[in-house]
Amino acid sequence: MTTGASIVARGITKVYGSDSSAYHALGPIDLDIKPGEFVSLIGPSGCGKSTTLLLASGLEPVTQGSIEVDGKPLTKPITEVGIVFQDHLLLDFRTAMKNVMLQQEIRGLDKSVIQARAESLFERLNLKGAENRYPWQLSGGMRQRVSIARALVHDPSMLLMDEPFGALDAISRTQIRHDLEMLWLDTRKTVLFITHSIDEAVGLSDRVLVMSKGPGTIVEEIKIDLPRPRPAHLGEYPEFTKYANRIYSIFEKLGVYKFK
Amino acid sequence: MSAAFARIREPLLWFAGLLLLWELVVRVFALPTFVLPAPSNFLMRVVNEYPRFVTHGLITTRLIIYGFVAGAVPGLILAYLIANSRRCEMLLYPLVVFIQGLPKITLAPMMLVWFGYADFPKILLTALITFFPVLVDSVAGFKAADRRLFYLSRSMNASWFQTFRYIELPAAAPAIFSGFKTTIVIAVTVVIVVEWMNSNNGLGYIVLRAMDNKDTPLIFATLVVASAIGVALSYAMASLEKLLLPWRRK
Ligand SMILES: Nc1ncnc2c1ncn2[C@@H]1O[C@H](COP(=O)(O)OP(=O)(O)OP(=O)(O)O)[C@@H](O)[C@H]1O
Ligand SMILES: [Mg+2]
Repeated sequence: MTTGASIVARGITKVYGSDSSAYHALGPIDLDIKPGEFVSLIGPSGCGKSTTLLLASGLEPVTQGSIEVDGKPLTKPITEVGIVFQDHLLLDFRTAMKNVMLQQEIRGLDKSVIQARAESLFERLNLKGAENRYPWQLSGGMRQRVSIARALVHDPSMLLMDEPFGALDAISRTQIRHDLEMLWLDTRKTVLFITHSIDEAVGLSDRVLVMSKGPGTIVEEIKIDLPRPRPAHLGEYPEFTKYANRIYSIFEKLGVYKFK
Repeated sequence: MSAAFARIREPLLWFAGLLLLWELVVRVFALPTFVLPAPSNFLMRVVNEYPRFVTHGLITTRLIIYGFVAGAVPGLILAYLIANSRRCEMLLYPLVVFIQGLPKITLAPMMLVWFGYADFPKILLTALITFFPVLVDSVAGFKAADRRLFYLSRSMNASWFQTFRYIELPAAAPAIFSGFKTTIVIAVTVVIVVEWMNSNNGLGYIVLRAMDNKDTPLIFATLVVASAIGVALSYAMASLEKLLLPWRRK
Protein backbone atom coordinates (compact mmCIF):
# COMPACT_ATOMS: atom_id res chain seq x y z
CA MET A 1 0.00 0.00 0.00
CA THR A 2 1.40 3.36 -1.05
CA THR A 3 1.53 5.95 1.69
CA GLY A 4 0.51 9.55 1.24
CA ALA A 5 2.58 12.21 -0.47
CA SER A 6 3.22 15.71 0.79
CA ILE A 7 2.29 18.83 -1.15
CA VAL A 8 4.01 22.13 -0.51
CA ALA A 9 3.14 25.20 -2.55
CA ARG A 10 4.63 28.66 -2.19
CA GLY A 11 3.07 31.79 -3.62
CA ILE A 12 1.33 30.06 -6.49
CA THR A 13 -0.89 32.09 -8.80
CA LYS A 14 -2.70 31.30 -12.00
CA VAL A 15 -3.43 33.68 -14.82
CA TYR A 16 -5.38 32.12 -17.68
CA GLY A 17 -4.80 33.47 -21.19
CA SER A 18 -2.46 36.29 -22.05
CA ASP A 19 -2.48 40.01 -22.86
CA SER A 20 -5.98 41.35 -23.31
CA SER A 21 -7.64 38.03 -22.45
CA ALA A 22 -5.50 37.52 -19.33
CA TYR A 23 -7.60 36.51 -16.33
CA HIS A 24 -6.19 36.30 -12.84
CA ALA A 25 -7.98 33.24 -11.48
CA LEU A 26 -6.08 32.33 -8.35
CA GLY A 27 -3.70 33.35 -5.64
CA PRO A 28 -1.17 33.89 -4.50
CA ILE A 29 -1.67 30.97 -2.11
CA ASP A 30 0.52 28.67 -0.02
CA LEU A 31 -0.25 25.03 0.71
CA ASP A 32 1.34 22.72 3.27
CA ILE A 33 -0.28 19.34 3.08
CA LYS A 34 1.30 16.60 5.13
CA PRO A 35 1.52 12.96 4.05
CA GLY A 36 -1.75 11.20 4.75
CA GLU A 37 -3.61 14.36 5.62
CA PHE A 38 -7.19 15.04 4.56
CA VAL A 39 -7.49 18.70 3.59
CA SER A 40 -10.57 20.43 2.23
CA LEU A 41 -10.70 23.54 0.16
CA ILE A 42 -13.93 25.46 0.47
CA GLY A 43 -14.90 28.70 -1.19
CA PRO A 44 -17.42 30.47 -3.39
CA SER A 45 -17.96 29.50 -7.02
CA GLY A 46 -15.27 30.76 -9.36
CA CYS A 47 -12.72 31.44 -6.60
CA GLY A 48 -10.18 29.08 -8.15
CA LYS A 49 -10.70 25.75 -6.38
CA SER A 50 -10.59 23.62 -9.51
CA THR A 51 -7.63 25.69 -10.65
CA THR A 52 -5.80 24.89 -7.41
CA LEU A 53 -6.36 21.19 -8.05
CA LEU A 54 -5.04 21.47 -11.60
CA LEU A 55 -1.94 23.30 -10.38
CA ALA A 56 -1.32 20.85 -7.54
CA SER A 57 -1.50 17.92 -9.97
CA GLY A 58 0.82 19.61 -12.45
CA LEU A 59 -1.86 19.42 -15.15
CA GLU A 60 -1.76 23.20 -15.52
CA PRO A 61 1.46 25.15 -15.07
CA VAL A 62 1.59 27.76 -12.32
CA THR A 63 1.96 31.36 -13.45
CA GLN A 64 4.04 32.24 -10.41
CA GLY A 65 5.37 30.39 -7.40
CA SER A 66 6.47 26.81 -6.97
CA ILE A 67 5.09 23.46 -5.90
CA GLU A 68 6.88 20.49 -4.41
CA VAL A 69 5.38 17.03 -4.14
CA ASP A 70 7.21 14.72 -1.76
CA GLY A 71 10.01 17.28 -1.73
CA LYS A 72 10.48 17.20 -5.49
CA PRO A 73 9.72 20.27 -7.63
CA LEU A 74 6.66 19.75 -9.79
CA THR A 75 7.51 20.24 -13.46
CA LYS A 76 5.15 17.88 -15.24
CA PRO A 77 1.82 16.21 -14.40
CA ILE A 78 2.13 13.85 -11.47
CA THR A 79 1.02 10.35 -12.25
CA GLU A 80 1.10 8.92 -8.73
CA VAL A 81 -2.32 10.45 -8.30
CA GLY A 82 -6.00 9.71 -8.53
CA ILE A 83 -8.23 12.54 -9.64
CA VAL A 84 -11.97 12.81 -9.33
CA PHE A 85 -12.91 15.58 -11.71
CA GLN A 86 -15.85 17.90 -11.28
CA ASP A 87 -18.86 16.04 -12.75
CA HIS A 88 -17.15 12.64 -12.84
CA LEU A 89 -15.71 12.70 -16.40
CA LEU A 90 -16.33 9.04 -17.13
CA LEU A 91 -15.86 7.75 -20.67
CA ASP A 92 -19.33 7.06 -21.99
CA PHE A 93 -18.04 4.37 -24.34
CA ARG A 94 -16.75 2.18 -21.52
CA THR A 95 -18.68 0.22 -18.96
CA ALA A 96 -18.28 1.12 -15.29
CA MET A 97 -15.68 -1.59 -14.73
CA LYS A 98 -13.83 -0.75 -17.93
CA ASN A 99 -13.74 2.91 -16.94
CA VAL A 100 -12.00 1.87 -13.75
CA MET A 101 -9.74 -0.59 -15.56
CA LEU A 102 -8.60 2.17 -17.89
CA GLN A 103 -6.00 2.91 -15.20
CA GLN A 104 -4.63 -0.61 -15.59
CA GLU A 105 -4.69 -0.56 -19.40
CA ILE A 106 -3.02 2.81 -19.81
CA ARG A 107 -0.52 2.42 -17.00
CA GLY A 108 0.26 -1.14 -18.04
CA LEU A 109 -0.30 -2.51 -14.54
CA ASP A 110 -0.82 -6.14 -13.62
CA LYS A 111 -4.30 -7.03 -14.75
CA SER A 112 -5.26 -9.56 -12.09
CA VAL A 113 -4.03 -7.37 -9.21
CA ILE A 114 -5.93 -4.30 -10.42
CA GLN A 115 -9.00 -6.33 -11.32
CA ALA A 116 -9.14 -7.70 -7.79
CA ARG A 117 -8.75 -4.22 -6.35
CA ALA A 118 -11.43 -2.85 -8.66
CA GLU A 119 -13.79 -5.57 -7.55
CA SER A 120 -13.22 -4.84 -3.90
CA LEU A 121 -13.72 -1.11 -4.54
CA PHE A 122 -17.01 -1.86 -6.29
CA GLU A 123 -17.99 -3.84 -3.25
CA ARG A 124 -17.05 -1.07 -0.83
CA LEU A 125 -18.60 1.69 -2.89
CA ASN A 126 -21.86 -0.16 -3.27
CA LEU A 127 -21.45 -0.63 -6.99
CA LYS A 128 -22.06 -4.37 -7.15
CA GLY A 129 -24.07 -5.18 -10.27
CA ALA A 130 -23.04 -2.00 -12.07
CA GLU A 131 -19.84 -3.46 -13.53
CA ASN A 132 -21.07 -4.01 -17.05
CA ARG A 133 -23.30 -0.99 -17.37
CA TYR A 134 -22.43 2.12 -19.31
CA PRO A 135 -22.30 5.51 -17.56
CA TRP A 136 -25.58 6.60 -19.11
CA GLN A 137 -27.22 3.56 -17.54
CA LEU A 138 -26.09 4.61 -14.04
CA SER A 139 -27.57 7.11 -11.63
CA GLY A 140 -25.67 10.33 -10.93
CA GLY A 141 -24.53 8.95 -7.59
CA MET A 142 -23.27 5.71 -9.09
CA ARG A 143 -21.29 7.62 -11.70
CA GLN A 144 -19.58 9.60 -8.96
CA ARG A 145 -18.77 6.37 -7.15
CA VAL A 146 -17.32 4.82 -10.29
CA SER A 147 -15.17 7.87 -10.77
CA ILE A 148 -13.95 7.56 -7.18
CA ALA A 149 -13.11 3.91 -7.81
CA ARG A 150 -11.19 4.93 -10.92
CA ALA A 151 -9.21 7.43 -8.85
CA LEU A 152 -8.28 4.80 -6.25
CA VAL A 153 -7.80 1.55 -8.12
CA HIS A 154 -4.11 2.04 -8.94
CA ASP A 155 -3.34 2.83 -5.29
CA PRO A 156 -1.94 6.35 -5.78
CA SER A 157 -0.25 8.28 -3.01
CA MET A 158 -2.51 11.25 -3.48
CA LEU A 159 -6.19 11.78 -4.14
CA LEU A 160 -7.47 15.01 -5.63
CA MET A 161 -11.24 15.36 -5.57
CA ASP A 162 -13.15 18.20 -7.17
CA GLU A 163 -16.66 18.43 -5.73
CA PRO A 164 -17.01 14.67 -6.03
CA PHE A 165 -20.42 14.62 -4.35
CA GLY A 166 -21.71 17.77 -6.02
CA ALA A 167 -24.40 16.02 -8.04
CA LEU A 168 -25.70 13.81 -5.24
CA ASP A 169 -28.82 13.95 -3.11
CA ALA A 170 -28.41 14.47 0.62
CA ILE A 171 -28.86 10.78 1.49
CA SER A 172 -26.28 9.45 -0.97
CA ARG A 173 -23.97 12.25 0.02
CA THR A 174 -23.96 11.23 3.65
CA GLN A 175 -23.39 7.58 2.75
CA ILE A 176 -20.62 8.24 0.27
CA ARG A 177 -18.95 10.65 2.70
CA HIS A 178 -18.77 7.82 5.19
CA ASP A 179 -17.57 5.33 2.57
CA LEU A 180 -14.81 7.69 1.54
CA GLU A 181 -13.78 8.31 5.13
CA MET A 182 -13.55 4.57 5.79
CA LEU A 183 -11.50 4.03 2.65
CA TRP A 184 -9.22 6.87 3.64
CA LEU A 185 -8.82 5.54 7.20
CA ASP A 186 -7.66 2.25 5.68
CA THR A 187 -5.25 3.69 3.18
CA ARG A 188 -4.19 7.10 4.52
CA LYS A 189 -3.63 8.69 1.19
CA THR A 190 -3.11 12.42 1.07
CA VAL A 191 -6.44 13.95 0.06
CA LEU A 192 -7.15 17.39 -1.32
CA PHE A 193 -10.91 17.65 -1.32
CA ILE A 194 -12.76 20.49 -2.99
CA THR A 195 -16.28 21.28 -1.94
CA HIS A 196 -18.98 23.89 -1.65
CA SER A 197 -20.45 22.15 1.31
CA ILE A 198 -19.57 23.18 4.85
CA ASP A 199 -20.96 19.88 6.18
CA GLU A 200 -18.74 17.87 3.88
CA ALA A 201 -15.66 19.93 4.63
CA VAL A 202 -16.07 19.66 8.38
CA GLY A 203 -17.37 16.09 8.19
CA LEU A 204 -14.35 14.74 6.36
CA SER A 205 -11.30 16.87 6.97
CA ASP A 206 -8.35 17.16 9.26
CA ARG A 207 -8.08 20.73 8.09
CA VAL A 208 -10.31 23.09 6.13
CA LEU A 209 -8.86 25.89 4.04
CA VAL A 210 -11.35 28.68 3.42
CA MET A 211 -10.93 30.69 0.25
CA SER A 212 -12.01 34.21 -0.62
CA LYS A 213 -13.82 35.22 -3.80
CA GLY A 214 -11.78 35.09 -7.03
CA PRO A 215 -8.94 35.51 -7.49
CA GLY A 216 -9.06 33.30 -4.42
CA THR A 217 -6.62 33.40 -1.57
CA ILE A 218 -6.71 31.28 1.56
CA VAL A 219 -8.18 33.48 4.25
CA GLU A 220 -8.39 31.01 7.09
CA GLU A 221 -7.24 27.59 8.11
CA ILE A 222 -9.43 25.59 10.47
CA LYS A 223 -8.17 22.46 12.16
CA ILE A 224 -11.02 20.01 12.70
CA ASP A 225 -10.63 18.08 15.91
CA LEU A 226 -13.41 15.50 15.78
CA PRO A 227 -13.12 11.76 16.41
CA ARG A 228 -13.22 9.36 13.46
CA PRO A 229 -15.10 7.76 11.89
CA ARG A 230 -17.53 10.60 12.04
CA PRO A 231 -21.26 9.90 12.33
CA ALA A 232 -23.98 10.32 9.72
CA HIS A 233 -25.55 13.11 11.72
CA LEU A 234 -22.74 15.51 12.40
CA GLY A 235 -24.95 17.71 14.57
CA GLU A 236 -24.30 15.13 17.29
CA TYR A 237 -21.10 16.98 18.03
CA PRO A 238 -21.46 20.47 19.48
CA GLU A 239 -17.98 21.17 18.06
CA PHE A 240 -19.31 20.47 14.59
CA THR A 241 -21.75 23.37 14.91
CA LYS A 242 -18.94 25.53 16.21
CA TYR A 243 -16.75 24.77 13.17
CA ALA A 244 -19.62 25.20 10.74
CA ASN A 245 -20.59 28.53 12.27
CA ARG A 246 -17.06 29.73 11.98
CA ILE A 247 -16.98 29.04 8.24
CA TYR A 248 -20.38 30.71 7.79
CA SER A 249 -19.17 33.79 9.58
CA ILE A 250 -16.01 33.95 7.43
CA PHE A 251 -18.16 33.77 4.31
CA GLU A 252 -20.40 36.51 5.71
CA LYS A 253 -17.42 38.72 6.45
CA LEU A 254 -16.11 38.13 2.91
CA GLY A 255 -19.47 39.11 1.46
CA VAL A 256 -20.03 35.66 -0.07
CA TYR A 257 -23.64 35.75 1.13
CA LYS A 258 -25.91 38.62 0.29
CA PHE A 259 -28.80 38.13 2.74
CA LYS A 260 -31.11 41.05 3.45
CA MET B 1 -29.79 -5.24 -36.27
CA SER B 2 -33.45 -4.29 -35.94
CA ALA B 3 -32.73 -0.55 -36.00
CA ALA B 4 -30.63 -0.81 -39.14
CA PHE B 5 -33.32 -2.95 -40.72
CA ALA B 6 -36.07 -0.49 -39.74
CA ARG B 7 -34.08 2.23 -41.45
CA ILE B 8 -34.07 0.42 -44.79
CA ARG B 9 -37.43 -1.28 -44.50
CA GLU B 10 -39.46 1.86 -44.97
CA PRO B 11 -37.62 3.09 -48.08
CA LEU B 12 -37.91 -0.44 -49.45
CA LEU B 13 -41.68 -0.42 -49.00
CA TRP B 14 -41.92 2.94 -50.65
CA PHE B 15 -39.78 1.69 -53.46
CA ALA B 16 -41.98 -1.37 -54.00
CA GLY B 17 -45.13 0.78 -54.04
CA LEU B 18 -43.56 3.11 -56.56
CA LEU B 19 -42.62 0.20 -58.81
CA LEU B 20 -46.18 -1.10 -58.70
CA LEU B 21 -47.56 2.31 -59.70
CA TRP B 22 -44.96 2.50 -62.42
CA GLU B 23 -45.94 -0.89 -63.82
CA LEU B 24 -49.59 0.19 -63.90
CA VAL B 25 -48.86 3.49 -65.63
CA VAL B 26 -46.76 1.81 -68.32
CA ARG B 27 -49.43 -0.82 -68.99
CA VAL B 28 -52.47 1.45 -68.84
CA PHE B 29 -50.99 4.04 -71.15
CA ALA B 30 -49.15 1.45 -73.25
CA LEU B 31 -45.90 3.48 -73.11
CA PRO B 32 -43.16 2.41 -75.56
CA THR B 33 -40.35 0.52 -73.85
CA PHE B 34 -37.78 2.92 -75.23
CA VAL B 35 -39.36 5.82 -73.31
CA LEU B 36 -40.18 4.03 -70.10
CA PRO B 37 -39.82 0.28 -69.59
CA ALA B 38 -42.07 -1.50 -67.13
CA PRO B 39 -40.42 -2.70 -63.91
CA SER B 40 -41.37 -6.29 -64.82
CA ASN B 41 -39.34 -5.81 -67.97
CA PHE B 42 -36.11 -4.49 -66.48
CA LEU B 43 -36.30 -6.58 -63.33
CA MET B 44 -36.37 -9.65 -65.58
CA ARG B 45 -33.28 -8.32 -67.30
CA VAL B 46 -31.52 -8.24 -63.93
CA VAL B 47 -32.52 -11.83 -63.32
CA ASN B 48 -31.72 -13.10 -66.80
CA GLU B 49 -28.43 -11.30 -67.18
CA TYR B 50 -27.24 -11.68 -63.64
CA PRO B 51 -23.75 -13.03 -64.45
CA ARG B 52 -22.97 -9.82 -66.24
CA PHE B 53 -24.31 -7.72 -63.37
CA VAL B 54 -22.34 -9.74 -60.86
CA THR B 55 -19.10 -9.27 -62.81
CA HIS B 56 -19.52 -5.58 -63.43
CA GLY B 57 -21.22 -4.94 -60.09
CA LEU B 58 -18.22 -6.40 -58.28
CA ILE B 59 -15.87 -4.21 -60.30
CA THR B 60 -17.91 -1.16 -59.30
CA THR B 61 -18.18 -2.22 -55.67
CA ARG B 62 -14.45 -2.74 -55.47
CA LEU B 63 -13.88 0.80 -56.80
CA ILE B 64 -16.38 2.23 -54.33
CA ILE B 65 -14.62 0.57 -51.42
CA TYR B 66 -11.11 1.49 -52.60
CA GLY B 67 -12.18 5.07 -53.34
CA PHE B 68 -13.96 5.41 -50.03
CA VAL B 69 -11.04 4.05 -48.02
CA ALA B 70 -8.57 6.17 -50.01
CA GLY B 71 -10.64 9.25 -49.18
CA ALA B 72 -11.71 8.43 -45.64
CA VAL B 73 -8.29 7.49 -44.22
CA PRO B 74 -6.55 10.77 -45.16
CA GLY B 75 -9.76 12.59 -44.19
CA LEU B 76 -9.56 11.09 -40.71
CA ILE B 77 -5.87 11.84 -40.32
CA LEU B 78 -6.25 15.43 -41.44
CA ALA B 79 -9.31 15.84 -39.21
CA TYR B 80 -7.24 14.70 -36.24
CA LEU B 81 -4.53 17.24 -37.07
CA ILE B 82 -6.98 20.07 -37.62
CA ALA B 83 -8.84 19.32 -34.40
CA ASN B 84 -5.64 19.10 -32.36
CA SER B 85 -3.54 21.89 -33.76
CA ARG B 86 -4.52 25.52 -34.00
CA ARG B 87 -1.90 26.01 -36.68
CA CYS B 88 -3.20 23.19 -38.86
CA GLU B 89 -6.68 24.51 -38.45
CA MET B 90 -5.79 28.06 -39.46
CA LEU B 91 -3.66 26.87 -42.32
CA LEU B 92 -5.89 24.16 -43.79
CA TYR B 93 -9.47 24.62 -42.78
CA PRO B 94 -10.34 27.64 -44.97
CA LEU B 95 -8.92 25.77 -47.96
CA VAL B 96 -10.92 22.68 -47.04
CA VAL B 97 -14.14 24.67 -46.82
CA PHE B 98 -13.41 26.28 -50.17
CA ILE B 99 -12.60 23.04 -52.00
CA GLN B 100 -15.56 21.31 -50.39
CA GLY B 101 -17.82 23.78 -52.18
CA LEU B 102 -16.40 22.99 -55.61
CA PRO B 103 -18.23 20.48 -57.85
CA LYS B 104 -15.32 18.07 -58.06
CA ILE B 105 -17.27 15.60 -60.17
CA THR B 106 -16.68 17.90 -63.14
CA LEU B 107 -13.08 16.74 -62.98
CA ALA B 108 -14.15 13.31 -64.26
CA PRO B 109 -13.41 14.10 -67.94
CA MET B 110 -10.05 15.53 -66.93
CA MET B 111 -9.23 12.30 -65.14
CA LEU B 112 -9.64 10.59 -68.51
CA VAL B 113 -7.28 13.09 -70.10
CA TRP B 114 -4.70 12.78 -67.36
CA PHE B 115 -4.81 9.11 -66.50
CA GLY B 116 -6.73 7.31 -69.23
CA TYR B 117 -8.91 4.23 -68.76
CA ALA B 118 -7.60 2.77 -65.56
CA ASP B 119 -8.74 2.19 -62.01
CA PHE B 120 -6.47 4.83 -60.62
CA PRO B 121 -8.30 7.96 -61.90
CA LYS B 122 -11.64 6.51 -60.76
CA ILE B 123 -10.38 5.73 -57.29
CA LEU B 124 -8.69 9.11 -57.12
CA LEU B 125 -11.83 11.06 -57.96
CA THR B 126 -13.98 9.00 -55.59
CA ALA B 127 -11.39 9.53 -52.86
CA LEU B 128 -11.31 13.25 -53.55
CA ILE B 129 -15.07 13.50 -53.19
CA THR B 130 -15.43 11.27 -50.13
CA PHE B 131 -12.50 12.93 -48.40
CA PHE B 132 -14.29 16.18 -47.59
CA PRO B 133 -17.51 15.06 -45.89
CA VAL B 134 -15.52 12.54 -43.83
CA LEU B 135 -13.07 15.26 -42.86
CA VAL B 136 -15.71 17.76 -41.81
CA ASP B 137 -17.69 15.29 -39.69
CA SER B 138 -14.55 13.87 -38.11
CA VAL B 139 -13.23 17.31 -37.17
CA ALA B 140 -16.54 17.95 -35.43
CA GLY B 141 -16.22 14.58 -33.68
CA PHE B 142 -12.66 15.13 -32.47
CA LYS B 143 -13.52 18.63 -31.28
CA ALA B 144 -16.64 17.57 -29.41
CA ALA B 145 -14.66 15.55 -26.86
CA ASP B 146 -14.41 17.13 -23.40
CA ARG B 147 -11.05 18.90 -23.19
CA ARG B 148 -10.63 17.69 -19.63
CA LEU B 149 -10.27 14.14 -20.95
CA PHE B 150 -6.73 15.17 -21.80
CA TYR B 151 -6.16 15.98 -18.13
CA LEU B 152 -7.37 12.50 -17.30
CA SER B 153 -5.06 10.81 -19.79
CA ARG B 154 -2.08 12.92 -18.72
CA SER B 155 -2.65 12.07 -15.08
CA MET B 156 -2.45 8.43 -16.17
CA ASN B 157 0.82 9.07 -17.96
CA ALA B 158 -0.77 8.03 -21.25
CA SER B 159 1.33 8.17 -24.39
CA TRP B 160 0.15 10.13 -27.39
CA PHE B 161 -1.04 6.93 -29.01
CA GLN B 162 -2.85 5.70 -25.89
CA THR B 163 -4.70 9.00 -25.61
CA PHE B 164 -5.72 8.64 -29.21
CA ARG B 165 -6.67 4.98 -29.02
CA TYR B 166 -8.40 4.90 -25.64
CA ILE B 167 -9.96 8.34 -25.48
CA GLU B 168 -9.99 10.57 -28.54
CA LEU B 169 -10.90 8.04 -31.20
CA PRO B 170 -13.78 6.37 -29.35
CA ALA B 171 -15.09 9.76 -28.26
CA ALA B 172 -15.14 10.95 -31.87
CA ALA B 173 -16.33 7.63 -33.32
CA PRO B 174 -20.09 8.34 -33.42
CA ALA B 175 -19.57 11.53 -35.44
CA ILE B 176 -17.01 9.78 -37.63
CA PHE B 177 -19.44 6.98 -38.40
CA SER B 178 -22.23 9.38 -39.18
CA GLY B 179 -19.87 10.89 -41.76
CA PHE B 180 -19.01 7.43 -43.12
CA LYS B 181 -22.65 6.50 -43.52
CA THR B 182 -23.56 9.52 -45.62
CA THR B 183 -20.33 9.36 -47.57
CA ILE B 184 -20.45 5.71 -48.65
CA VAL B 185 -23.70 6.44 -50.48
CA ILE B 186 -22.14 9.43 -52.22
CA ALA B 187 -19.27 7.16 -53.27
CA VAL B 188 -21.68 4.80 -55.11
CA THR B 189 -22.94 7.62 -57.30
CA VAL B 190 -19.49 9.00 -57.90
CA VAL B 191 -18.05 5.69 -59.10
CA ILE B 192 -20.92 5.06 -61.48
CA VAL B 193 -20.72 8.55 -62.95
CA VAL B 194 -16.98 8.21 -63.37
CA GLU B 195 -17.32 4.80 -65.02
CA TRP B 196 -19.97 6.20 -67.25
CA MET B 197 -17.62 8.84 -68.59
CA ASN B 198 -14.46 6.91 -68.45
CA SER B 199 -14.44 3.16 -68.47
CA ASN B 200 -14.59 -0.11 -70.27
CA ASN B 201 -16.10 -2.06 -67.41
CA GLY B 202 -18.24 -1.60 -64.31
CA LEU B 203 -21.91 -0.64 -64.00
CA GLY B 204 -21.35 2.83 -65.42
CA TYR B 205 -19.93 1.23 -68.52
CA ILE B 206 -23.05 -0.93 -68.91
CA VAL B 207 -25.15 2.23 -68.78
CA LEU B 208 -22.97 3.76 -71.47
CA ARG B 209 -23.35 0.70 -73.72
CA ALA B 210 -27.09 0.60 -73.11
CA MET B 211 -27.37 4.21 -74.24
CA ASP B 212 -25.45 3.46 -77.40
CA ASN B 213 -27.84 0.59 -78.15
CA LYS B 214 -30.92 2.57 -77.08
CA ASP B 215 -31.52 -0.29 -74.62
CA THR B 216 -33.57 1.57 -72.02
CA PRO B 217 -34.50 -1.48 -69.90
CA LEU B 218 -30.80 -2.23 -69.44
CA ILE B 219 -30.26 1.28 -68.03
CA PHE B 220 -32.98 0.69 -65.49
CA ALA B 221 -31.74 -2.80 -64.72
CA THR B 222 -28.33 -1.34 -63.95
CA LEU B 223 -29.94 1.27 -61.75
CA VAL B 224 -31.55 -1.53 -59.74
CA VAL B 225 -28.22 -3.26 -59.25
CA ALA B 226 -26.52 0.01 -58.31
CA SER B 227 -29.22 0.76 -55.74
CA ALA B 228 -28.81 -2.71 -54.29
CA ILE B 229 -25.09 -2.08 -53.91
CA GLY B 230 -25.78 1.27 -52.23
CA VAL B 231 -28.23 -0.27 -49.78
CA ALA B 232 -25.89 -3.18 -49.05
CA LEU B 233 -22.96 -0.84 -48.35
CA SER B 234 -25.01 1.43 -46.07
CA TYR B 235 -26.24 -1.61 -44.24
CA ALA B 236 -22.70 -2.94 -43.92
CA MET B 237 -21.56 0.42 -42.55
CA ALA B 238 -24.39 0.53 -40.03
CA SER B 239 -23.55 -3.02 -38.93
CA LEU B 240 -19.90 -2.13 -38.58
CA GLU B 241 -20.90 0.81 -36.39
CA LYS B 242 -23.01 -1.48 -34.23
CA LEU B 243 -20.13 -3.89 -33.91
CA LEU B 244 -17.49 -1.30 -33.08
CA LEU B 245 -19.58 1.10 -31.00
CA PRO B 246 -21.74 -1.15 -28.86
CA TRP B 247 -22.10 1.52 -26.19
CA ARG B 248 -24.36 3.79 -28.20
CA ARG B 249 -27.71 4.16 -26.52
CA LYS B 250 -30.80 3.35 -28.46
N1 LIG C 1 -9.22 27.41 -18.94
C1 LIG C 1 -9.61 28.59 -18.47
N2 LIG C 1 -9.44 29.71 -19.19
C2 LIG C 1 -9.83 30.90 -18.72
N3 LIG C 1 -10.41 31.11 -17.54
C3 LIG C 1 -10.61 30.03 -16.77
C4 LIG C 1 -10.24 28.73 -17.19
N4 LIG C 1 -10.57 27.85 -16.21
C5 LIG C 1 -11.13 28.59 -15.24
N5 LIG C 1 -11.16 29.90 -15.55
C6 LIG C 1 -11.65 30.99 -14.73
O1 LIG C 1 -10.93 31.00 -13.53
C7 LIG C 1 -11.78 31.23 -12.43
C8 LIG C 1 -11.62 30.13 -11.42
O2 LIG C 1 -12.10 28.92 -12.00
P1 LIG C 1 -12.21 27.56 -11.20
O3 LIG C 1 -12.77 26.57 -12.12
O4 LIG C 1 -10.90 27.27 -10.57
O5 LIG C 1 -13.27 27.96 -10.09
P2 LIG C 1 -13.92 27.04 -8.96
O6 LIG C 1 -13.58 27.64 -7.65
O7 LIG C 1 -13.58 25.62 -9.17
O8 LIG C 1 -15.47 27.27 -9.23
P3 LIG C 1 -16.68 26.23 -9.04
O9 LIG C 1 -16.90 26.11 -7.57
O10 LIG C 1 -17.85 26.93 -9.69
O11 LIG C 1 -16.31 24.96 -9.69
C9 LIG C 1 -13.18 31.37 -12.97
O12 LIG C 1 -13.52 32.73 -13.03
C10 LIG C 1 -13.11 30.78 -14.33
O13 LIG C 1 -13.96 31.47 -15.20
MG1 LIG D 1 -14.61 24.00 -9.84
